[in-house]
Amino acid sequence: MSPDILDEAMEIWFGPQHVSAHGWATKLTLVGDYVVECDPNAGYFHRSAEKVLEFKNFRQGALVLERMCMLEAFLAEYPYVAAVEKIAEIEVPERAKIMRTIMMEMSRLHSIQFWWGQFNAELGFFTMALWPWVDREYSLDAFEELTGSRHTVSYSTPGGVKYDFTEKFMKQLHRAIDRFEDRLPKFRDMQMGSPTFRARTKDIGLYHYKQGLKWGLSGPPIKACGVPMDLRKDDPDPNLAYDMVDFEIPITENPEYPGSSDALDRMEQRFKEAEVAVDIIKQLLPQLPESGPIIDPKARAKANRLPEGEAYARVEGTRGVTSLWLKTLDKAQTAYRAKIRGPCIASYYALKDLVPGSKFADFIVIFGSLDPYPGWWDR
Amino acid sequence: MSTIGRAVINKIPEITSNALGDNKIELIVPAEKIREVITIIEEELEDAMPESVFGIDLENDQYQLIYIFWSWSTKTLVQLRVSLEGEKPEIESSCDIFPGLEWHEREVREMFGIDFKNHPDPRLLLLPDELDGAYPMRKRFTTDQSRLEESGIAPPRPRPKPEGGDSK
Repeated sequence: MSPDILDEAMEIWFGPQHVSAHGWATKLTLVGDYVVECDPNAGYFHRSAEKVLEFKNFRQGALVLERMCMLEAFLAEYPYVAAVEKIAEIEVPERAKIMRTIMMEMSRLHSIQFWWGQFNAELGFFTMALWPWVDREYSLDAFEELTGSRHTVSYSTPGGVKYDFTEKFMKQLHRAIDRFEDRLPKFRDMQMGSPTFRARTKDIGLYHYKQGLKWGLSGPPIKACGVPMDLRKDDPDPNLAYDMVDFEIPITENPEYPGSSDALDRMEQRFKEAEVAVDIIKQLLPQLPESGPIIDPKARAKANRLPEGEAYARVEGTRGVTSLWLKTLDKAQTAYRAKIRGPCIASYYALKDLVPGSKFADFIVIFGSLDPYPGWWDR
Repeated sequence: MSTIGRAVINKIPEITSNALGDNKIELIVPAEKIREVITIIEEELEDAMPESVFGIDLENDQYQLIYIFWSWSTKTLVQLRVSLEGEKPEIESSCDIFPGLEWHEREVREMFGIDFKNHPDPRLLLLPDELDGAYPMRKRFTTDQSRLEESGIAPPRPRPKPEGGDSK
């Protein structure tokens, strides 16, 4: 790039006040309509969660974690709970394992429904923004009936789960799933059949999965390249019920560029992710025992003081590998060090290499298709 | 021992290993060998994904760095542990091998004061400029209100007195 081109360059900030920039700010250098430099900035949402975890006991800690990403709260809080269970050697009743897994997949469905609407709203395709958001309300109603809260659910706790499924909840759960399945063909037709949407997303934000892995991407952005990388199969957590279900990892293949994905593939991938989540729920519901304990009675005492240890717990979140590394000292009441690893730190960082060269209007398509959530990198 | 563990130890014999479970391995790496080890990981595990890098403050100027890599096709998790000491410890940056490590290294630098030599972009990542050099994740950084002035963050404003006359 010759220096005189840069003389005409214009720097603009995308965020933090922009409506599509929910708590992040990216400095873009534009020459004409093209982005030549992209500088993602983090820190607008930083709440020092890792330091806070050093002052919270092991039952309170999960509440901090779910605030990292409220859209997938059941998934977000789980790595902390799992790490505590590993160090304290807490057994989890089978019924609680299934209930956790069902709620985690519900959380995935809800998160995808929200992303779906948000991404379409950012593209100016408002019909497809509002339709999934209507369906999302059904999931939220079920969460509210189960836990008393729509977003900060605080469901998993060391040793099991906090609340049992009620009859009313089961009705609402079925209503949410049935409605999703009922409307899915219509949504798919509306979304993937829209020529405007296809034109705006085809070949936009194209990268090869090998490059993606170097950035640290995981989850749907990698699976959309045709790579079945999924912790639900590769490294399932022992206190979840993924071994009781038979499912295939959804992948999307780009016919023109094998091993790569564009924004259109990543949308297709989210459809498949939601379908598989519902499939897992439907397989688990009949296997749920009618009655039985939902929490290990000794867990509360065990989680009061933990022995010395280190544990690393991971779960396949909606956006990729979500994990927590925990270190405790002997007879610890609080964590000595807790490191939260959110998947989106990689997808936000990737913009730095991915965006330059594309048009300014495509920036939000690339950003939205990677589904970054600021809580995951700012913590 | 997993293949990658053997490959690393064959090339650099002073590295020791601990098993962490099935296909999970921890390597204790001297600080000056870190770039060599990460290069071997990059060559041997072609789908290695850098999960995170983070520091641990063990007090009395003792620090540890943990690097985590995951390879889905071989289902191998590699955890590297590096011990560092000193008031302001230093280590070579590895983000030219795995660009995904860049932000993690920036975060460790601002939170723990561990310097990454040859880092391309050593700005603050999450902290405001006033906290540069305060290293808030170190254990000696106390979080009570008495440090508020030192941090440069404005103290909370006193509540305005309610308008109107005395109720007496």
